Amino acid sequence: MPVVSFSVAGRDNCVVVGGTAYVYATVKGRGFVMNAQCPHRGGPLHLADVTADGSQLVCPWHERKTATARLRGRIPSVRTGKRVTAVIPDQPVSRGYAAAAVCGGATSREHRPLSPSITTPVTES
Amino acid sequence: MSRVPQHVPFELGGAALRDAIIQYATNPIYLDADDWQNHDNPYRRQLRPQILPHLDFDRVPGRENILDYPSLAAQRLLTTIYEADLVFFPKSGLKGKEEDFRAFYSPSNRALGEKIRPALERYAFGFLDDEVETSGKWTKASLDSYLDSLEMNGGDEQSPAERAILGSADPRRAARMWLVQFTADFLSEASPMLRNVLGYYGPTQSEWFKVIIDEYGYGVHDTKHSTLFERTLTSVGLRTDVHRYWQYYLNSSLLLNNYFHYLGKNHEHFFRYVGALFYTESSLVDFCRRADRLLREVFGDSVDTEYFTEHIHIDQHHGRMAREKILDPLIEAHGEGIIPDIVRGIEEYRVLLDVSDGDFSAQISWMDDQPELKKLHGPVYEAIREGRVEAPVAHLVEPFNELSNTHCHEGDELCHIVSGTMRFESGLDSSLILEAGEGVVIKRNRLHGADILSDECVYEIHSVGDYRSCLL
Ligand code: FES
Ligand SMILES: [Fe+2]
Repeated sequence: MPVVSFSVAGRDNCVVVGGTAYVYATVKGRGFVMNAQCPHRGGPLHLADVTADGSQLVCPWHERKTATARLRGRIPSVRTGKRVTAVIPDQPVSRGYAAAAVCGGATSREHRPLSPSITTPVTES
Repeated sequence: MSRVPQHVPFELGGAALRDAIIQYATNPIYLDADDWQNHDNPYRRQLRPQILPHLDFDRVPGRENILDYPSLAAQRLLTTIYEADLVFFPKSGLKGKEEDFRAFYSPSNRALGEKIRPALERYAFGFLDDEVETSGKWTKASLDSYLDSLEMNGGDEQSPAERAILGSADPRRAARMWLVQFTADFLSEASPMLRNVLGYYGPTQSEWFKVIIDEYGYGVHDTKHSTLFERTLTSVGLRTDVHRYWQYYLNSSLLLNNYFHYLGKNHEHFFRYVGALFYTESSLVDFCRRADRLLREVFGDSVDTEYFTEHIHIDQHHGRMAREKILDPLIEAHGEGIIPDIVRGIEEYRVLLDVSDGDFSAQISWMDDQPELKKLHGPVYEAIREGRVEAPVAHLVEPFNELSNTHCHEGDELCHIVSGTMRFESGLDSSLILEAGEGVVIKRNRLHGADILSDECVYEIHSVGDYRSCLL
């Protein structure tokens, strides 16, 4: 399983492994690594809103809701300071929308804006 | 059934906590010393109780403030509390020190320490809760991938602390300061680990014990790792009595050592300890290889490095043992639910190494820069005198041999001598003599102390915050 480290915010806050993009999100003060694509039609889940109780992410495209607990429970990761290390599952379970087919496990980094509701609050001294 | 009174969990905070800390630290064995070093007395530790009424241990600092004075005070307190579980005798025997011995191991001292320990631990290690956070569903397979991906301390690449020694203006002094940082840990080596030997928990217990058998030199005192380390110290002119160099321990050195006591003392953190143990045992091989090389480069052939070369041999097994015989069977027995704590222990230990590297390197620069910082007194004092900078000032008058035991500050300060003579201490074998009209810039978080060499010394401390703002 590929192990990737990337930044929780700013430049290179998104890692693309085998065609699937992952970002670090924070809901109700607790962070996790999630697939940045909506399971519906691949919409930008990194721009999702969060329901008032924090239990669901709402995709900006067709407002489909994804349970936060489900996202939280998927990708094993550990954040240390402003970097997170994640172990990416070999077979990205694509229910519904299938990520673009890729050959090999090429990894790249890029920036994806996050909606304010899933952005990690920056702790300043 | 008779009515059971409601259970109230123990908690201590606010004024009650402060009072309890003061009650603990005012034990006569913890008062200020009138010398920079302790003399073969493992019970004496300077806790500076006179400052404690001004400190707030309720507000847990974040990583950016972890080297401030309250944290140093907390680490000194915790080391002292943890070590009441360890047996220490003066090298020259107990005679004449019986009272200190009893004061250190007395039920009163132990009970007072235990009472404040949870709050101090929260203060000292609370920043790790923010710093390291696990999430997602960790499985045995994902843990294996993660462990395989870890770079164990960069192989041959020097750590910032090692670079600081080799790049220092006085590499021998820097290397001695470095070795002194380890004495709190290495002389009582594996004591925190032994906390996890007690009890009854299956085959892992015996595997854990085997690691300790190696550390303890198979019961042959000459091969006990602490004996090897004593030889290293002696070979470079350092003494080996416990906590002789107490006042020279950096905040982060105590933090690193206390971390293992913290995990070992509180068995709810057992699996974090397993993670941290795995990482230490796996990374120590490279560390010791580099340490051996570094000490030879600095001291030449006269330095005894067997402590480090022995670890190169034995820890190759320990890394594998920790993974195959401790980590894997524990997951087998207790399920994948323990994995996040194991991962957390690994990452926390790496954070602490990082903090420690930064702290030590900064201290070496601080020691090297003393002549420069003495010269900087001129322009900085000028800025204050001309009113270009306004800073709170404290006026002090101290008698001969008034020793300000080592400490640090939250911001930069300027020390200005009005009359008399001061010895300003900035590290082991690192000091300045300051006469009337002279002074020194004291940098934020840097360990220092002072001694008065004249009958009386009148001086001022200007809390300038950032000294560079005085140079504009
Ligand atoms: S793509 Fe997200 S709701 Fe349709
Ligand atoms: Fe000071």
